[in-house]
Formats: sequence, structure tokens, C-alpha cells
Amino acid sequence: MRPERAAAWEALPVESEVQTTEVEAREGAMEGALAVAGQLGYRAASVRAILDYSGGHRRQFYELFASKEDCFEQAYSAWIGRVGAAVLEAAVGAPSWPESVQAGLVALFRFVSGQPEIARSLFVEVQVAGGGALSQHDEAMERIAEALDSVRDRIEADQAPPASTGLFVVGGIEACVCDALTAGDPQRVWDALPELMHLAVGSYLTTAAAEAAFEDAKAVLEREGDALRGGEGR
Amino acid sequence: MRHLRLVDEEPADGPFREGPLPQRLPHGRHGIPRKVVHDHQRVRLLTGMAEALAKHGYAGVTTTRVSKCAGISSGTYYKHFGNLWDCLLASYVVTSERLCARIEAACAERDPRSAPLEAGIEAALEFCAAEPASALLLSTQPPMEGGAVVAARRQLIGRLAGMLRKSRDGGGEGDRPPGLDERMIDATLAFVGARVSAGQAERLTELGPELLAILTATRRAA
Repeated sequence: MRPERAAAWEALPVESEVQTTEVEAREGAMEGALAVAGQLGYRAASVRAILDYSGGHRRQFYELFASKEDCFEQAYSAWIGRVGAAVLEAAVGAPSWPESVQAGLVALFRFVSGQPEIARSLFVEVQVAGGGALSQHDEAMERIAEALDSVRDRIEADQAPPASTGLFVVGGIEACVCDALTAGDPQRVWDALPELMHLAVGSYLTTAAAEAAFEDAKAVLEREGDALRGGEGR
Repeated sequence: MRHLRLVDEEPADGPFREGPLPQRLPHGRHGIPRKVVHDHQRVRLLTGMAEALAKHGYAGVTTTRVSKCAGISSGTYYKHFGNLWDCLLASYVVTSERLCARIEAACAERDPRSAPLEAGIEAALEFCAAEPASALLLSTQPPMEGGAVVAARRQLIGRLAGMLRKSRDGGGEGDRPPGLDERMIDATLAFVGARVSAGQAERLTELGPELLAILTATRRAA
């Protein structure tokens, strides 16, 4: 059965506030497709399992979606957009670039540790789904890489990092997330926060900035780690 | 560092360790020893696994498709592997070994005046450019079903991170944060995999200087 949705994600922008039966059924099935694929793996995520999760009817499902693949792809589009927006929104509000990177990572890790089944679909099972979902995944990663690249405005031309630095860093972050999710221990992503901050900041800025970002992330985990892991303060 | 051995490695003097692999052995009575035939089939299946994965992705790879790529019957497939994931694991481990051996050889044979990291990157990119299917096998995140492959991937990343450390300061952590080198290898695999997926495998070797610059930038930062 469909569990209670985690509180943090109630606040995420949804496509429509109009609560019609059809919209609810569509949202429920889409969330079900991601959650079930995250639980059982994409191959094993049948329409029956999705309906068991969302509580909908088979006929209605096929009125809304052409197939399981169609449902997953539409769900993927909606959720990767929401998660990407939440990460970028958290980053935009920070006073400096390293702090914006950290805020973005914290937002991402909150999602990963709060909604691990959906996260597993978005980051791991998308490789199995392929097709349009994988294209959307790649586009989302490029948007995050572009956001990281915003710091280039403050770097002298002769010190500019290589063009692929953003995608390199995003690849490292995503691999860390996938590791935690495939290991069945999503909370583990938090442990990697300091070293990922070092990787991200060190790829663009100075030694001192990378070390400061590392120490700052460690301090945040020492100060707020339990709350972050436990979901408080979201 | 102890390495967990997940499958038997190809013996150094094995018939298929190096050199081009004949696609098929002759049919009928050929007098080739049974073990040679068995090993030949196994190596073809391991290669077929990478090819099928590159062609169909995790979405569409099946034992039938692996068998077809290998030019081997499904019945023979199951004489070698119990299921799809067993074959994937074996293919991953053997391909990892080949990549690591190539990097180690390049570092050992390099001009002493050149940096080992540069030689290692060059060798790794040449390997991936020559074998894009192997590059995708090693770089793509395996799904949950392939649990043991996830472990094999972690093992490869740990080994490559060890090489990175060795190229820097003889293998010590120094004052670098623990785990940073593993994150850099994670990122490098993603970097390579994205380009192979985009059909740019042939141009991978051109990316050597850029990859070196990224890796040395993060090293300077430590």
C-alpha cells in the first residue's frame, strides 16, 4: 500500500493544485511507478504492482498511460524536475558559491534519505528504463553542472578549470548517491558530504577554499547531522 | 591491500589471454581439447555480455541476446552461467582486471621523466576508446538486481583510487580527506561513460589533457 508521503516533499511545487480524481489517480500512479521500480527494480515493476501501491484501477491506468513505460517516463519527468528545482532553489538562496553548493547537496541528500525508493528510480533504475527517462536524466545532470559552472564568472581566465569540470563533479556526486541507494543505506550519503564539498570546490577554486568547504561540511554534520539524518529541520 | 576474488581470472598462459579471439571454433570433429572449447565459449560469453549491454542497455539485455552476441546457443550459456547476473559479474571482473593490468603496464613502461598519472590516464582512455562496450560495462551504474556487480564496481574504484594515490605520493593518504580519491574515480568513470554513451568513444584519447587537468586541479587543492 501507498505509504504516507514524506513531509519535506509535500512542500515541493506540484504541477497542479486542482484535486480532481483524474489528477489524483495520475499522480498516484506516477508516484507508484517510481516507488515500485525503486523497491523491486524496473524490470519487476509491473502495472499490477503499481496499482497495488497506488490503489487505482487497471482500466483507469490505461486511460491515463499507454503502458508501464509511458507511466514511468511521465513520472520521471515530473519528479526529476521537482528534485532539480528543489536543489537549485536551495542553492540560489545561499550567500556564497561554496555555501550554495553545500545547500544544493543538503537538499539532494534530504530527498535521497527521505524518499529512497523514488530516488533509486531517479538515479539507479533509470539506467534500466533507458529511453526518454534516461534523456531527461542526462539533461537534468547538465542543468546542475551548468549551475556549478556559474562560479566561472569569478575565476580569472588563466585559472579557469576545464570545460567538463561541472559534469565531472556532478558524475562524482551522482555515483556517491547511487552507491548509498544500491547498498540499501541511503543515510550513508551524508557521510560523503565533506569529501564531495572538497571535490566540488577544489575542482574550481583554491586549496584553501576546498579545505574550508570540507571543514565547514564536517562542522555542519557534527552540529546538525542527527537532525539532517532524522529528517528534522526540513 | 587484499583483493576479493569474485571469479577465477583468466590464467596468464591461457589460450585467450591476449590476441584476437576467433569468433567460432570449427564444427564437428576437430580434436581441440574440451577445456579449450570450454574456455573459448566462456570468453566469448564474457565479450558477448559487454556487447549486448552496450547494444541493448540494462533495459534490454537478456541471456538470449548475450548468447546471440557471443554466437553461442542458450543451452551452452547455461552450462557456463546460472543466470544473466552471474555472467555480468564475471564479465565485469575480467574486464576490470584487463583495464587495471593495462594501466599498471603503461605506468611501469613509461618514460621515467613523464608523470605516472599521465601515462595511466592515457592507457585507460586508449582501452576505453578501443573497447567502448567494455568502457560502458565498467562505467554504467548497475541496477539493484546486479548486487554483486555493485560490489565489483566498488572494488574496481578502490583499486583505481589506490593507483591514483600511488601516482601522487607512493600510496599514502597524506593529508587528503579519506575517500576523496574514490570520489574522483567515481567522477572519472561517469565522465568516460557519458562520452561513450554519446557516441564519442573514438575521441576519448583527445580528452586526456582535460582529464589530467581536472584530476591535478583537485590534487592541487588537497
